[in-house]
Amino acid sequence: MNEFVATVVRGLGNGSIYALLALGFVIVYKSMRVISFAQPAFMMAGALLVSYLVVSMNFFLAVLVALLLVALLGAGVERLALRPMIGKPVFVIAIITLGVDIVIRTVVNSFIGLDIRQMGDPWGLGQVDVLGVKIDQRHLATLVTTLVVVAALFAFYRWSRTGLAMRAASSDQEVALAQGVSVGRVFSLSWALAAALAGLAGVFLSTGIGLEQNLWLTALKALPVIILGGLDSLGGAVVAGLSIGVVEALVGSYGGDLHPVFGGDFFLVVPYLLMLLVLLVRPYGLFGTREVERI
Amino acid sequence: MSIRRGIAVALVAALTLLVGCRNDAPQTQEGESGVKFDVGVTKEPCPAAIDKAKGCIYLGSISDLTEGPFKALGVPITESQKAFWKRVNEAGGIGAYEVDATKYVKDNKYNPQIHNEVYAEIKPDVLGLAQTLGSPTTAAILADLKSSNVIGVPASWTSAWAFEDVILESGTNYCFESMNSVDFAAETLKSKTVAAVHFPGDYGDDAAAGTKIAAAANGMTFTDIPTAPGQENQGAAIQKLLAAKPDLVILSTGPTEAATIVGGAAQNGFKGQFIGTSPTWNPALLKSPAAPALTALYRQSGPWAPYGTDTAGHKALAGAVDPATFKAAPNDGYTAGWVWSYPMKAALQKAVDAKDLTRAGLLAAVKSLETVDYEGMLPEAAGKFSGAPGERVFRQSIISKVDPSAPTGVKVERDFFTGKTAEKHEFTKPCYQ
Repeated sequence: MNEFVATVVRGLGNGSIYALLALGFVIVYKSMRVISFAQPAFMMAGALLVSYLVVSMNFFLAVLVALLLVALLGAGVERLALRPMIGKPVFVIAIITLGVDIVIRTVVNSFIGLDIRQMGDPWGLGQVDVLGVKIDQRHLATLVTTLVVVAALFAFYRWSRTGLAMRAASSDQEVALAQGVSVGRVFSLSWALAAALAGLAGVFLSTGIGLEQNLWLTALKALPVIILGGLDSLGGAVVAGLSIGVVEALVGSYGGDLHPVFGGDFFLVVPYLLMLLVLLVRPYGLFGTREVERI
Repeated sequence: MSIRRGIAVALVAALTLLVGCRNDAPQTQEGESGVKFDVGVTKEPCPAAIDKAKGCIYLGSISDLTEGPFKALGVPITESQKAFWKRVNEAGGIGAYEVDATKYVKDNKYNPQIHNEVYAEIKPDVLGLAQTLGSPTTAAILADLKSSNVIGVPASWTSAWAFEDVILESGTNYCFESMNSVDFAAETLKSKTVAAVHFPGDYGDDAAAGTKIAAAANGMTFTDIPTAPGQENQGAAIQKLLAAKPDLVILSTGPTEAATIVGGAAQNGFKGQFIGTSPTWNPALLKSPAAPALTALYRQSGPWAPYGTDTAGHKALAGAVDPATFKAAPNDGYTAGWVWSYPMKAALQKAVDAKDLTRAGLLAAVKSLETVDYEGMLPEAAGKFSGAPGERVFRQSIISKVDPSAPTGVKVERDFFTGKTAEKHEFTKPCYQ
């Protein structure tokens, strides 16, 4: 039983990272109706900045400074590379985000170098005993931080004026504009938030052993998460991220017991199988808005 | 038919005949010293020639240089090979030729398709490949290497290479290396149970196959634990290790995965010993939170001794590589690139001596190599490329222990040895097939 609980918590830890990444995708999609493929680059940039800043300051302060810088980077990318493309086909804008991802990751990789950079986090590989179950501190820290960030994000969207403006712009840009909402500012803020969330995911992903160039591949797991949760659902991103993390962990640990086919690295395809299943039954995701189209 | 039309038809027919009879085979030429050559050899000096009177042998290099998963190995391997051939040229070259391994260096991004494309690009200009990094990438060009008699030095250690004449591998492969590791642990650490934690594919599966063979030979219980790349994907492997509780674990993953597994298992009270194949190690891991666990529980198996070992070859390597560059990122990729170059040098020398530096001539020279002078980095017998795979495969490996004071964080614990399993193993096919 203890082993099962430890597996679930590990899944929730990884799932929190997927959820943070997916939230960024959803925020950008809600504001611009575009899937941003630049999220892996922001994830790597956040982790890289912390690995450099932590040499001269406290880890938590380094995380705050790094997230601020990555948010500025996200807003800058939106202003310089995306804003001029408004009105152009969504496909074109999505391809531009792909280019942005490659450019930023190439620069980030040159700073990571060939080795593994240390994050200086206080958790390392340490564990904590919770009711007799040994749980990795970093998984617990990731889960708690994600829950706090998600609560703050939902509160921001629900109760702040800017959050209201973002919801209005997401619902109908022209009406929001007529009501005095600066849609351009909403775009910038969306990109800044998405970049910061990806940066935070990168930081937690690199805790433990460290940051290396191949870590960006993990960000791709956010794609099945957003399809599962619904492209425009913040709550869906969180639920789907955590669910996929847990299912992945359970299949990885116990899949082989059911049948040898489900052992080994079968757990890697589970998120995509779930995605396919959901696409067949609910093409807009479990929590996504069903679009009504005039025929 | 008018006369004009008749002439036109005759011209077209003549042209068709000419094109049809065109000889696609590379033209063989002869140098001043009477050496025959065809592709990738010129009478003109190399771009950075030391002796402008000498001709040039061009060797290509296809490596993981920018964004692939093995960039940390590919970059130092390539730099080391450039330094190796520079040293050869400074010592007088190969007969009347110098060797250039800098002009045709290409990045494969560890992608078989890109590997194939860049190979096609440089193939008309090079005699052979000083480096072809990766097993799946090299497999993508293997058919053409064979049909064109192009010799390639692989930057990988799969047991399949022993069955290919055009592949000029050095040192033992993952399969025999793992057999020796299990024999070492059975004898020295008194291990009774063993698990292989490995990536899928001809790297991890080759090591796991060797582990399984040696486990059976030693009467040990064997557990197979395949795992996937990525730090966040190692939880299940750790859990399976904790459940199986083996005395010994043979690792064939990447460095971060290995550290996650060793560190994570140790945190949960795992007491077994780990031996990782050479790609599982990166000295930067000694700065990670897994360092205490690695120091206590990890050993590294390898086809040769690490950087800084006291042999003539290692000293020459240390003298040729910029100390500041090495110190910034210490890596045994330098050692590998250097060692892999020795048999190519021996084959080129033999081909020049036989006055046949054509691709076919170089292949014949390779197939006749009985020994290679590795300047002590490998026994000379490792350079046998004649005979059946089972006769010529090199079965010795070494075991190193973590030593933070060593240049690359590991120091030899057991020098070259062949375990009893590897010695008796009938090598008739690649271990993982």
